Amino acid sequence: MQILIYILKRILQTIPLLIVVSLISFFIIRLSPVDPLAELKLNPSISKETLQKETERLGLNKPIYVQYALWAKAFVQGDLGVCSTGESVAGKLKERIPNTLLLTALVILLTWLVGVPLGILAAISWKTPLDRMLTVLTSIGMAIPSFFFAILLLIFAVKTGWFPVGGLTSYNFNEMNLLGKIWDITHHLILPTTVLFTISLAGLQRQMRANLLDVLDSDYVKFARAKGLSEFKVLYKHALRNAINPMITLLGFEFASLLSGAALTEYVFQYPGLGRLVLEAVLKSDINLVMASLMMGAVMLVLGNLIADILLIFTDPRIRTVNSKQ
Amino acid sequence: MKKFLYVLLIIILVLFALKFFINADIPELETLKTAKTESLAPVKLPASPKTVTINGIDYLQSQAPVGGFGGVLVASTIGEGPKTFNPFNTKDATSATMADTMFDGLVATRAKDGEAVPKLAKSFEISPDGKTYTFKLRRGIKWSDNKPITAEDVVFTWNKIILTGLGNTSTRDSVLIDGQLPKVEKTDDYTVKFTTIKPFAPFLRILSAPIAPKHIFEPAVRKGEKYFQSFWSTTTPPKNFVISGAFKLKEYVPAQRIVFERNPNYYEINLNGEKLPYLDKIIYLIVGDLNNEILKFEAKELDTISLRGSNVGRYKKREAKSDFIIYNIGPDTGTMFVAINMNKRKNEQGKYYVATKKQAWFNDRNFRYAIDWAIDRQNMVNNIANGLASPLFTAESLNSIYLNKKLANGHPKDLKKAKEYLKKSGFYWKNKILYDKRNNRVEFDLYTNAGNTEREAIGVMVKQDLEDLGMRVNFKPVEFNSLVNKLVNSLDWDLVIMGLTGTPLEPHNGKNVWYSTGSLHLFNQRPDGKATDRFDWEVKLDKIIDEASLKITFNDRKKLYDEYQQIIYDEKPIIYLYSPIRVIAIRKKFGNIFPSPLSGVTYNLDEIYVKQKVKSKK
Repeated sequence: MQILIYILKRILQTIPLLIVVSLISFFIIRLSPVDPLAELKLNPSISKETLQKETERLGLNKPIYVQYALWAKAFVQGDLGVCSTGESVAGKLKERIPNTLLLTALVILLTWLVGVPLGILAAISWKTPLDRMLTVLTSIGMAIPSFFFAILLLIFAVKTGWFPVGGLTSYNFNEMNLLGKIWDITHHLILPTTVLFTISLAGLQRQMRANLLDVLDSDYVKFARAKGLSEFKVLYKHALRNAINPMITLLGFEFASLLSGAALTEYVFQYPGLGRLVLEAVLKSDINLVMASLMMGAVMLVLGNLIADILLIFTDPRIRTVNSKQ
Repeated sequence: MKKFLYVLLIIILVLFALKFFINADIPELETLKTAKTESLAPVKLPASPKTVTINGIDYLQSQAPVGGFGGVLVASTIGEGPKTFNPFNTKDATSATMADTMFDGLVATRAKDGEAVPKLAKSFEISPDGKTYTFKLRRGIKWSDNKPITAEDVVFTWNKIILTGLGNTSTRDSVLIDGQLPKVEKTDDYTVKFTTIKPFAPFLRILSAPIAPKHIFEPAVRKGEKYFQSFWSTTTPPKNFVISGAFKLKEYVPAQRIVFERNPNYYEINLNGEKLPYLDKIIYLIVGDLNNEILKFEAKELDTISLRGSNVGRYKKREAKSDFIIYNIGPDTGTMFVAINMNKRKNEQGKYYVATKKQAWFNDRNFRYAIDWAIDRQNMVNNIANGLASPLFTAESLNSIYLNKKLANGHPKDLKKAKEYLKKSGFYWKNKILYDKRNNRVEFDLYTNAGNTEREAIGVMVKQDLEDLGMRVNFKPVEFNSLVNKLVNSLDWDLVIMGLTGTPLEPHNGKNVWYSTGSLHLFNQRPDGKATDRFDWEVKLDKIIDEASLKITFNDRKKLYDEYQQIIYDEKPIIYLYSPIRVIAIRKKFGNIFPSPLSGVTYNLDEIYVKQKVKSKK
């Protein structure tokens, strides 16, 4: 019951936050000198009447605050509006979200499955050659900019011909059988996943290692060891449980990056995800599309944090007691 | 001491890096060489298609050599892909290309000479007074859903879609003659009559607009404009499309590709009487940028690509050992120019758009001549365009059929001559700094849109060239939208570097730029749209544009358009710089490739086929 009230409170708290986010983003976009009709204006074959019609269709002839009010009203009713090209924003997002989710979810799954054990391994073999080697590797991973690594891999794909150059499916995808389809998508996913995996693995592994080292140095671990507990029990029953808390907070942020974290890599690999769509929308000041993606990002971030906090309530008894006292 | 060492170390590193970049930047010479020696080898184009009647069906017969059926051609489109498949809603080039693949117009452009020839129509006649166009349609040809294509469809398309201004109104705008729209009537099931109130030369080519199937579009048109905007959008299942062209949409995968398959009902046959097109599929991969396009071509995912910059030299070297051929199809319709703001008007607050001293300079023809003679176009071609461009001096692009050939070669850079012109108007130099006769230092702004590296490079060169004359040029690349606002609304600019694309076939399309009330009459924009305070030569240009649109024969029009180019050349409100050259690579396995400077390489998708031999070797 208490948890439910807590969740409700948190959700109510996000409403003013979302309003502020939407206000700031809307006005920044609209006050920037980007004119969605600039290209039409410089097209010799477009007449003044057409321009006028377009201005009215996009609502650009109304004052900014009226534009915002119209947008907000539609948004609250669940209508994301239409793009500057007349297509529905919700439809466009729906086309792209599964692709992005496929990539980011895969990457997050892989990094956590590999990164956390590697972090533990590095921490328990602190200052041994193994730890040093892992440090060097992860440092490299953290140092390579993702777009650069992506380009390197693309060149590798072109030179060897082993991997397709970007995209998600081959052109004859629809004529393949199920197995062929799965293989085709996997084949296309390998390179972008490698890039994202390498980069986020480094951060995660180092975080895990630092947390565990911190805990291993604390008094209660020393006490547990002095008590004569087996090293296995000390590590996995006492130390790890305490070391995992900061990781859960991190997981909340990872959740937020599900939809937006891979934009740069997506762009380089021509991956049909949200990244390319939103980038183009920003460049063309396609307000409804940009607003929808920004709001989505904000909601995901809030939601991620909420999930992390709830998980923390379960894993950390200290928070539980504080909450119940309130 | 330690700090000093660090600084030294960084300097050395930077120097090394610079050295590396300079070394890596060599292939320019190679490109220059290829661009100069390689012009388009004369390709013998096949005779134009004829109409043959078999069993009462008026087929179009391709006269190109007979090829084999089957195969796929993979091309690319840069950007985010089409926004709509409705040919009457398209507002961007990609959507237009995709929609036009599926639809034929009454007439089409002949690749050889740009002449408008019957396509969906069997034949047409123009009445002696030049006002009535009578089109005979092909009998027995069908839409992709087996319904016949008749005069009903043509009349419906024009009267209910185009002329009512549904969707993109640019076709409607372009047939508005003295505020009046043409009349479209059906004479019988296979005859349509178009009547304009005056003879209007560009009209025939405008009739290449797609014709819609009435039985599909009529319900959509009835539901009004808003519905029509979303009709045949990118989310419509392709099986609902009914088309007349050689290829029909099969699949659209957002941000990945567009797949077209052959239309078995297409009305074109080859010399053996077999139904075209040869190819089973045409695929456009949607690529985000040029770099990715190049990578995809190298990985053999693409069959054809438009090459730019230093890539041309690199590919030319490899051509002999590779499976592709490179075609240089000459200058395209893109133009780079410097426009000069000659506006003498005041804005609503009573302030001059352009400061009065600058007005005096910019309205002085000698001053504009001096700029023209000081600019080194060849240098720009060599250094900015990697040799892949031609210096340009005329308002019509170099591949235009109306190009005034006398002016096309222009003149070289000549600083002395430029200085003479300035002296004639009383400009003088003190310490190599230029002053006008009222002792004002000559200083002005030069704008272009930031982010366009080509235009920024041009700006730097123009600035250097003009500074040789003692002018002070403040080169200001600004954000594209702010620039457009300056050019179209606030009009507070001095000089600007811009580019526009046109058409090699119809100078009348430049009307918005050159007509004194045009919406893009950059150098003397009239915000109120009223033809007041015209220069003598502006009056002349207006007259020529009007007159040339009334003349029907090519020779009459050519004479007028020659004069129009001469006037612009003499007055130089816009100083043209260069036109890029188009270079296209395509795999050798394709047959019936007939590159043409007017239409490109893959304009005849219905005739292109995959050569069997090359296929079996693979």
